[in-house]
Amino acid sequence: MFLINDLITLLAANLILSQALGTSTIFIAAGSKKNLVGTACVITLFTTIGSAAAYFVDKALPSSVSDMRLLFYTIIIGILYILLLTIFYYVGRSYFEDFRKYIHVSAFNCAVMGTLFTINQRAAMDSSLFELGGYVSAGFEAGIGFIIAAIILTAAYRKLNSSKVPAAFRGFPAMLVYLGIISMAVYSLK
Amino acid sequence: MNSRRKNLLGGILHDNIVLSGLMVISPVIICGDTLRNALALIYAFSAITFLSVLISSFVPKKLPYTAKVIIYALISAAVYIPVKLAAKEFYPDSIERIGIYYPLLAVNSLIVFQTEAKFFKMKKLDMMISLIFCIIGFDAVMLITGFLRELFAYGTINSKIVDVNTLINGLSQPFGGFIFLGLMCGVYRFIRSFVSKNDRQIRSEASVSDK
Repeated sequence: MFLINDLITLLAANLILSQALGTSTIFIAAGSKKNLVGTACVITLFTTIGSAAAYFVDKALPSSVSDMRLLFYTIIIGILYILLLTIFYYVGRSYFEDFRKYIHVSAFNCAVMGTLFTINQRAAMDSSLFELGGYVSAGFEAGIGFIIAAIILTAAYRKLNSSKVPAAFRGFPAMLVYLGIISMAVYSLK
Repeated sequence: MNSRRKNLLGGILHDNIVLSGLMVISPVIICGDTLRNALALIYAFSAITFLSVLISSFVPKKLPYTAKVIIYALISAAVYIPVKLAAKEFYPDSIERIGIYYPLLAVNSLIVFQTEAKFFKMKKLDMMISLIFCIIGFDAVMLITGFLRELFAYGTINSKIVDVNTLINGLSQPFGGFIFLGLMCGVYRFIRSFVSKNDRQIRSEASVSDK
């Protein structure tokens, strides 16, 4: 029962299905199992570590200069981007060529940046969430949410791209409508 | 000549960034439910994208790809600040409604990735023309989406009540945005294939008459 409750909470708080964050990235992820694993892992790394760093930015940044938050978040993601590329280059050189495209795709996109801003917004509304642990777990949850949404899309990917779908709607248009229907189902869970 | 023209003007129909490239779609899905939001987003997107790409074009091309991408993102994040301050004067209500999607416009893929893949391979003047048409392409989609969703979701146009018999409340929700954009993409593709089929037919008829 707890598991079902957790799953429902994860779905209802899903940033892709409820806020359309990272929709174009999920289309890349859903293309193949390899893409799904690669993109999902890197996005989760970015959202989790990025959220931890965002906590310190939010703590230090006075509300009078809140418009500069984007600049600081961009610096965080930029540093993470370089760090991940460097780590993968030295640690897993054999995987590097395959894996770096996922890092490039995941660094600056709505899924990662949107997660940081959403967590900041939630913490501003509920001060109990304004702690390092809360930020990290919310970032990790967002990554898991991305994986769930990507799996849901992967399940229908072939059918939505098959020749049975009218040419004009084949691929992206059909996937958007499909995500809309899933999003409608998630909306009813709220 | 034709392919050059296609490259420059393609941003509106042939290579529309939203309907063909699926870039910057989250603000369209979530915030494109009223004309006012659409106008606020159009202002922000146009100003941030144009200025950021223009300034980014002066970044040395010899730098490594990763460094350039980070610099482009930093430039757009810096451009975002004055644009947001000005928006507080012009669109105070919409800013609140748009929320986190406002800063997200600044890290859109058109600025961060397309600059390197498309714009910076062109001459400066060509780049600017192509960029302006890409922006107009986004603006057109945003306007149509905002107008139609507001009309059918709330029965209003720019907050003025209109006599509409059928209201679909779901169109104002994120799922309505997804479905609406999916349908719009399908219609766009149909029109695009129809136009290119017509073009091919005219060209083949012209080549026959030349012979």
